Amino acid sequence: MKKDIDIKSVAKLAAIKLTDADEKKFEKDLNIILEHVDALSKMNIEDEEINIHPLGEKLNLREDVSSEFLTHDEAMSNSPETEDGHFVVPPSLD
Amino acid sequence: MNMVPTIGIETHVELNTNSKMFCKCAVVETENPNESLCPTCLGLPGALPVPNLKAIESITMLALSANCAITKNGMFHRKNYFYPDLPKNYQISQFDLPVGVDGSIEIILNETKEIVEIERVHMEEDTGKSIHKGSGRIDSATSTLLDFNRSGVPLVEIVTKPVIKSSKEAVSYIEELRQLVIDLKISEGKLEKGNLRFDANISVAQEGDNELGVKVEIKNMNSLRSLEKAIDYEIKRQTKLIESNEVIIQETRHWDEDKEVTSSMRSKEGSADYRYFSDPDLPNMILSDEFIDNIKKTIPILPSEKRDKLSETGLSISESNYLSKSEEWIYDLFLKTQKITNDTKSTFNLITGELQGQLRKAGTEELPEWFTSERLSEIIKMINENKISFTSGKEILTNLIKNEIIPTKYAEDNNLIQDNDSDEIAKIVQNVIESNKEVVERIKDGEEKLVGFLVGQIIKSSKGNINPSIAKDLLLKEL
Repeated sequence: MKKDIDIKSVAKLAAIKLTDADEKKFEKDLNIILEHVDALSKMNIEDEEINIHPLGEKLNLREDVSSEFLTHDEAMSNSPETEDGHFVVPPSLD
Repeated sequence: MNMVPTIGIETHVELNTNSKMFCKCAVVETENPNESLCPTCLGLPGALPVPNLKAIESITMLALSANCAITKNGMFHRKNYFYPDLPKNYQISQFDLPVGVDGSIEIILNETKEIVEIERVHMEEDTGKSIHKGSGRIDSATSTLLDFNRSGVPLVEIVTKPVIKSSKEAVSYIEELRQLVIDLKISEGKLEKGNLRFDANISVAQEGDNELGVKVEIKNMNSLRSLEKAIDYEIKRQTKLIESNEVIIQETRHWDEDKEVTSSMRSKEGSADYRYFSDPDLPNMILSDEFIDNIKKTIPILPSEKRDKLSETGLSISESNYLSKSEEWIYDLFLKTQKITNDTKSTFNLITGELQGQLRKAGTEELPEWFTSERLSEIIKMINENKISFTSGKEILTNLIKNEIIPTKYAEDNNLIQDNDSDEIAKIVQNVIESNKEVVERIKDGEEKLVGFLVGQIIKSSKGNINPSIAKDLLLKEL
């Protein structure tokens, strides 16, 4: 089942820049992790009930009532850059 | 070679809840950015999501109304991506266990009923709004401004199977879906406010091919008109590429409203790139039989059921479709009035023509409480029995919108009852002929359109209460 990691694609999806040295290091690390996880596919789970979620509990739902939490100034207070009440970030599509 | 387009539509419907999907922040309509925020919808560390019961009820109602099978043991997944419009770096959505699957929605296309198959109906949260600053073009922006008021607003995504064959069918589907969410009262359903937003997946293949062509996703269509135009444009573009043996790239394209073209935005992520995994903060969502049964009981009459009821009165499919998509009170008024008059055509024409027209002119969407189906029927009956002219009927209608009047009494009090007594009319006809000898000669010489002038003179000298068709018949006999 195990596939080798495509480190460039993973780095792109994680939006991080890697040097050549980083790439080699993380490629090796991630492949070791995959090998560990691959052990799962060797398990015989035919008679096991599938647990689709790590938490067994039932989801609690909340009544549709609104309340205030943060003021505008509080919400913006940690932002390095703001403009006209907006958070400012580097340009991005979508 | 004959090309066949295949279209699938993804629609996002913003629900009309008071609070957001996973936190208590109010859903607000304000121009002021970043006013309704908390640690959960800002993605601050340690904040935990708690789903909104009303939103789950609303999506269940929609899924049931779209004939879906309900997933009783469902769950939420994280859809991971790095656009800044959601500050958590993921959107809480659903993946392989959506609330509803395998449904269908009936639509009307060219006087026939068609079925659009629904693949899935799932719950997720809306993103914030981004404003791209710079030269105006989205791909050359210098910075992005973010407003998170919308971040976390409950959003339902409805995905059709790739079964739609034309832009017209796509438009009809969206119209139907819009009416459905309005009738279920789960969304305002206003396109101009972004309550309903849609993307189209379009592919073109040669007729007879078993496989679909390469799928291109079109975004940024803000109206039904742009949906229709964008689909037509994209079908033409892909057909041209295939015919000249060029490759169609699987990508997302942006509809440019001004230039009326689609242009490439970015290559489309595969589902694996979103690295969906179950949200560890949200346990399984169990929808009990009792919960589902209770929702079923609250479902009102659906647009398709309205159409069936309307068709029973003798309306055509498209007339029924029109009324099923009108305001609730117009639908009610038609059915009640038709029951009294037993005249489907006149009732439909007066309500959808004259009444709606007058209301539009008056700038109102509501009728006063005294405007009952009984009073409207009186007007229709008087017109049909030739007791009043259609013009007088319009006059009474105008007054009934403004004042509490009894139409039959108003007609009598204002001398609108037509004289159907031929002898009386004959006298007036004779008088008019006497005093318009020159005109009569011209009519005899072939100027037939002057007959209308004489009829007008007859009605004028009778102060408007002569039945014009009787007057015309008598006049022609005399001539």
